[in-house]
Amino acid sequence: MDELELLKKDWETSSKNYPELNKKEIYKLIYKRSSSIVKWIFIISLLEFAFWTLISFTFKDSKDLEKMESYDVDYILYPLMILGYAVLIYFFYIFYKNYKNISATENTKTLMERILKTRKTVKHYVVFNLVFMCISIIIGVYIEMTNNPDVQNMLTRIQSEGEGNVTVFYLIVVGVSIIAMAIITAILLGFYYLIYGLLLKRLKSNYKDLKELETES
Amino acid sequence: MKSSEHNFVELLQKHQNIVHKICRLYTNDSDAHKDLFQEITIQLWKAYPKFRGDSKFSTWMYRVGLNTSITLYRKSLRRVESQSIEPVAYKLSYEEYDDTKDKQLKMIYEAVHKLNDIEKGIIFLYLENKNYKEISETLGISEVNARVRMNRIKTKLKTQLNS
Repeated sequence: MDELELLKKDWETSSKNYPELNKKEIYKLIYKRSSSIVKWIFIISLLEFAFWTLISFTFKDSKDLEKMESYDVDYILYPLMILGYAVLIYFFYIFYKNYKNISATENTKTLMERILKTRKTVKHYVVFNLVFMCISIIIGVYIEMTNNPDVQNMLTRIQSEGEGNVTVFYLIVVGVSIIAMAIITAILLGFYYLIYGLLLKRLKSNYKDLKELETES
Repeated sequence: MKSSEHNFVELLQKHQNIVHKICRLYTNDSDAHKDLFQEITIQLWKAYPKFRGDSKFSTWMYRVGLNTSITLYRKSLRRVESQSIEPVAYKLSYEEYDDTKDKQLKMIYEAVHKLNDIEKGIIFLYLENKNYKEISETLGISEVNARVRMNRIKTKLKTQLNS
């Protein structure tokens, strides 16, 4: 191809025209802050871990939990809490291991795969937390319904007015819980989609490009 | 640490042309060129402890430089997205793209700038006289795929130039 030969020739000759940075300028550059996507994924992931840990601590100190403890349901609350912390430690370990494996000296495809794997770990952690949160809400509502004296009194009153009303009451409780879970899940998922979607759009498209080439041949 | 830093700066100063050339392909203006140059320098420095010297420093630079441009670099917000090549990026040979001087070359560079990130990586290594084995090893694809893609790039460029 003539054009490519022309380009190659110009490429070789024009390379002499680049500016020369002196040692002082290079020294300055190496200590500047990086804006690589890996750094951003790391920061966002740390914030995610912090966010979910903070949520669990806030819940732990809340009056609602104190009230729950008075119901004598430790056999449910403690396993849930232990599971939550165990999963946090597990995911953090995997995330850190994946993150440490990311190196710009790998080939392009491997580098992309490692970044996506790190991201996937955090994604799994988020999914786990959403599921965990929904299960906790269901258990919380169930405990309140069966142990809270105010709810019990209300149920007795409703029952005295007719059996059908109790069913309506339960349906309202279930409906409100589902709507609350759906809203929280949608907001969080939308937030993640936006952040990671923007951050990884280019990487995903380039990775797809490399993968397509592999599957074609 | 000081000695490693000193060695690195010396090596980078010697081979800085490679970084400039990568920036030239992946950016369209001088601000973006400077941004990417800075990011590649940071990534090279971060990866330097892993440079074992079993390959040439320049070969290692190709890999880190391309990885930064294709995968790690987050485009600066101030960067203006444009397909035109602004003749302001330092004192590169952009002046030579003057219509009267070399219209054909200008068109070729514009066509190259329109290629996607992976294609730019392949053509960059091709322009740097790397063989298909080296291209495939840098990008993590097979040698056959590198060849196939290079042929497609040639066709793509030809179609663009003839349209």
